[in-house]
Amino acid sequence: MEHSEPTEQADGGSALNGHFDRTGKRPVPGGSGCASAAASAGAPQPPRAEPGAPRPVMESWREERTRSVEDNQTSLPSLAAAYTTILRGLGEDPQRQGLLKTPWRAATAMQFFTKGYQEKIIDVLNDAIFDEDHDEMVIVKDIDMFSMCEHHLVPIFGRVHIGYLPNKRVLGLSKLARIVEIYSRRLQVQERLTKQIAVAITEALKPTGVGVVIEATHMCMVMRGVQKMNSKTVTSTMLGVFREDPKTRDEFLALIRS
Amino acid sequence: MNGHSNGKVNDTVEEFHRNNSFNGLVIDTKKSAEHRQHGTSREEDADECRLPALEAAYASILRELGEDAGRQGLLRTPLRAAKAMQFLTKGYHETIEDILNNAIFDEDHDEMVIVKNIDVFSLCEHHLVPFFGKVHIGYIPNKKVVGLSKLARIVEIFSRRLQVQERLTKQIAVGISQALEPKGVAVVIEAAHMCMIMRGVQKMNSRTVTSTMLGVYLEDPKTREEFLSLSKSA
Repeated sequence: MEHSEPTEQADGGSALNGHFDRTGKRPVPGGSGCASAAASAGAPQPPRAEPGAPRPVMESWREERTRSVEDNQTSLPSLAAAYTTILRGLGEDPQRQGLLKTPWRAATAMQFFTKGYQEKIIDVLNDAIFDEDHDEMVIVKDIDMFSMCEHHLVPIFGRVHIGYLPNKRVLGLSKLARIVEIYSRRLQVQERLTKQIAVAITEALKPTGVGVVIEATHMCMVMRGVQKMNSKTVTSTMLGVFREDPKTRDEFLALIRS
Repeated sequence: MNGHSNGKVNDTVEEFHRNNSFNGLVIDTKKSAEHRQHGTSREEDADECRLPALEAAYASILRELGEDAGRQGLLRTPLRAAKAMQFLTKGYHETIEDILNNAIFDEDHDEMVIVKNIDVFSLCEHHLVPFFGKVHIGYIPNKKVVGLSKLARIVEIFSRRLQVQERLTKQIAVGISQALEPKGVAVVIEAAHMCMIMRGVQKMNSRTVTSTMLGVYLEDPKTREEFLSLSKSA
């Protein structure tokens, strides 16, 4: 299957939270494993495998935003109307004092919870990559994360732990948290979120390895459905040397646990 | 609708708040704290027919947020979200009478009964975002005790609605006092509000605590203290 540049996909499918065609099929070039970050199934756009052609670097940086700040203003009335319908459909009275401005507040809140669609990695990272001769593990842990379950539109919250082994280039530490923000403030599935964070860091820095662990509580499981209050979901993505070398992985896991 | 336009509870509440220290609250109560005892604002059977309208609303929300409603993960999301929302507001089609009818027993017990650490999940009526926490309920029976799980079920009825934490606390307390006519009722709720944690001020560790003390819990500080210390023990 031909891989076209993300910007050339007319319907902007590539930018939609890591899926780049409407059928949801994600072509995986070459090998079966996920040894290289760019080949992983959740990656926004795997690099072209054509010999001779220059390999496009940092494809995900060229993701188009599916939403702009101006779009937020223009969609607000229809979002508010949708919420008013929901309030009525639930048997509530949208005219009572407590609910009068709720459609607008809920609409703005939902736009905030999905503000990751308005942001691009490249905007956030552009300046903060530095050349450092450091080749020991760098870990940022206990990053609070809030996302929305794409199946029930109910919050997910938890913590993200990120570790990477730099290869001559390090990243401003808060940028790791900003990458988490961009991808988590979307309609998400925890597995995809973990992978997207790992891939973004890999594409930006080309480190020797990246490890991302997310431990989260899903309100869709806690507040409804099975209603298991204390359940937590843990997902992880290990790329590069974190995947290949068990000792490195162990060191990372031990350090995030302490 | 969640305790509005129904004047029945007012007298009971005012009776308990004769001390005036909650005068401000009483005035507020006239507007918001009454619960609907005999009717529900939503019939359970009507849920099915309302689903399409809710689904359409959610589909429109997905589009307006810039998502692709046709992608695999989102295909059935409007339906799931609509059903989830109906579940999260199922308190609207339940009444206290339905759940309590059989479980009130005559017992000659007049010491405090406490059920604590009841997990509570509700929806903020201002942002439609969850808030959750724990409820501690205590009451001193007056010849009538209630099945313990019924206290938790009363919490469920009132919490599965679009709520404000203050009103939720009061509704639970008033519901129990109306059903049992005990010597006193105390309800304390400690909750985390996602609308403050996930957005807005974004204070991760903030918790809101509200309480309602009725009857002897309001009048006698020692009784109140006993309840507070027993419900806090680790």
